[in-house]
Amino acid sequence: MTSLKLVALEKKDRSVVTVGNAHFGAGFVIIAGPCSVESEEQMIETAVAVKNGGADMLRGGAFKPRTSPYAFQGLGLEGLKILAKAREATGLPFATEVLDTRDVSWVAEFADMIQIGARNMQNFSLLKEVGKLQKPVLLKRGMYSTIEEWLNCAEYIMNEGNPNVVLCERGIRSFETYTRNTLDISAVPSVKELSHLPVITDPTHGTGKVSLIEPMSLASAAAGSDGLIIEVHRNPAEALSDKDQALTPRQFSGLARKVRALVQFMGGLE
Amino acid sequence: MNATNNPLRQKEDTVNLKEIRENIDSIDQQLLILLRQRMEFALRAGKHKNAIHDPSREESVFRNVTSKESPLLEQKFIRYLYEKIISESKELQHRGLKLVGFQGEHGAWSEIAIHTLGNEMISIPCIEFGDVFAGVASGDFEFGLVPVENSIEGSVTEVNDLLVETSLNIVGEAIIPIHHNLLALPGTNHQELRSVYSHPQALGQCRSFLSRNKLEPRPFYDTAGAARWLAHEQQRSAGVIASRLAAELHGLEVIKENIEDHPQNATRFVLLSSQPRTGPANKCTIAFSTQHRVGALFDVLRLFAESKINLTRIESRPIRKNPGAFAFLLDFQGTADNGVVRQTLERVEQTTMMFKNLGFYPEASA
Repeated sequence: MTSLKLVALEKKDRSVVTVGNAHFGAGFVIIAGPCSVESEEQMIETAVAVKNGGADMLRGGAFKPRTSPYAFQGLGLEGLKILAKAREATGLPFATEVLDTRDVSWVAEFADMIQIGARNMQNFSLLKEVGKLQKPVLLKRGMYSTIEEWLNCAEYIMNEGNPNVVLCERGIRSFETYTRNTLDISAVPSVKELSHLPVITDPTHGTGKVSLIEPMSLASAAAGSDGLIIEVHRNPAEALSDKDQALTPRQFSGLARKVRALVQFMGGLE
Repeated sequence: MNATNNPLRQKEDTVNLKEIRENIDSIDQQLLILLRQRMEFALRAGKHKNAIHDPSREESVFRNVTSKESPLLEQKFIRYLYEKIISESKELQHRGLKLVGFQGEHGAWSEIAIHTLGNEMISIPCIEFGDVFAGVASGDFEFGLVPVENSIEGSVTEVNDLLVETSLNIVGEAIIPIHHNLLALPGTNHQELRSVYSHPQALGQCRSFLSRNKLEPRPFYDTAGAARWLAHEQQRSAGVIASRLAAELHGLEVIKENIEDHPQNATRFVLLSSQPRTGPANKCTIAFSTQHRVGALFDVLRLFAESKINLTRIESRPIRKNPGAFAFLLDFQGTADNGVVRQTLERVEQTTMMFKNLGFYPEASA
């Protein structure tokens, strides 16, 4: 991977990306929250629940990339305002996705971390735009992308001057249809061999199945992941998007407890 | 199928009725704004009249309004309405309310500062800072409240120039935290915003926010005035920087709150009166000019240093009538009845070409 200059591990210490009190690359960071911000009440209730369940950061989509143009597209700026209120209520910083270069500065005004979604991983104008900021970026792996292509996208962001990049493995397309995607856990130690950047995993999109989220979270932690991003809804059956893969707050807190115990156990082995 | 049974038609009717009612609500809002303005002018007139009851003036008001008679507005109704309005104005004039002039429109930061001074203060909008000074001097208002400096943007130069020249007294001060909001018409897509209108001070306090979001700053005479202008003009590509109060007054949506470049954004205001303050005071403002020679300003400042008097601000302003010459405004902590302070001021007066004591007043806490 000769094209990597800023992202490559060579000669560089491992990066730590800090968002509020969460340190990616130094400790295990759990981001949790609903797929979409649906209302102030829903977001704040979920935010308080995931905080109590052990989350370090909030997530919530205000601008949504949906397969169908007729599906709920997100609340937009209103969603960002609600996320800011949830941050105020819990003290937890939040990550949210940006889809459009024209929205980048606005999302940055509100959010603590900007997410580039899997579908936009190779949207180079969007990568350059977030690269001009100093705001931390969560770069998801494209569903058809190789690790090399993914790392080159991080290179785009860093080349513009923003060193605060966190990678996120979220599953790739395979011939398997039982799961929504195939969570590529081997990507975690692979990235660690190639790059100094922190990498987390998204077992929600990686599996698309509630029953598989906890086992894959534990597997991710065991593989050396720096954290997780997990969808939680106060009442998954009522969710406006991705309702089949959202955990209840109770399921989430059980998962967080087990993962933290595993991370602590592994720390004791070193 | 007749019209009332057609569900589509019924739906159309409800939509129409809703629109008509929205128009009525909006007209009511405008009527109240105009009525408030009328009361404000009546109160100002009351400060000049010897007797509040003035039958010939009332008759001329009735003549003026009944000349617009129409089938929907009968003379009898108009006369009844105006009798009520006039009687309410007289009632207000009787109460001896204290009027405070401020630059800008209702919802301006100066007005928010006036609210902190007490409930019995009635804020009266003025177009320019000069109008505030003139209104206090002429007796239209008991007081005027004007901003002198801001923690991010610095001196409000026009006000400082007026302070150098005025014969009014400073009788109080207020320091108000300023949190600006980006406002737009309800339902505006943030991507459409191109330019932002506000008072140059507010635009300056949010300079990096505007530049980050590629918004062009457009100076306007007042923050709240810009909000009213936007609500009236319905420009989708325009935003306004103003207070939340201005957003509420003009039905605008808050796109982003706290857009000032630093959270510790505060503006210091001074209260003007034609009479000097009589109550306790621990701060003073003076204006002076010195000869153009080496060490002239130093000679003045040395007097304060030797007397161990703490200065809180020094501002230099070119004298507009005499370019090349400068006046200084100086604030210090000290009481009027303190012998050292009195002596120092006497010596400053002897050392300077022009000297004016703008007054002693209680220091505000930040």
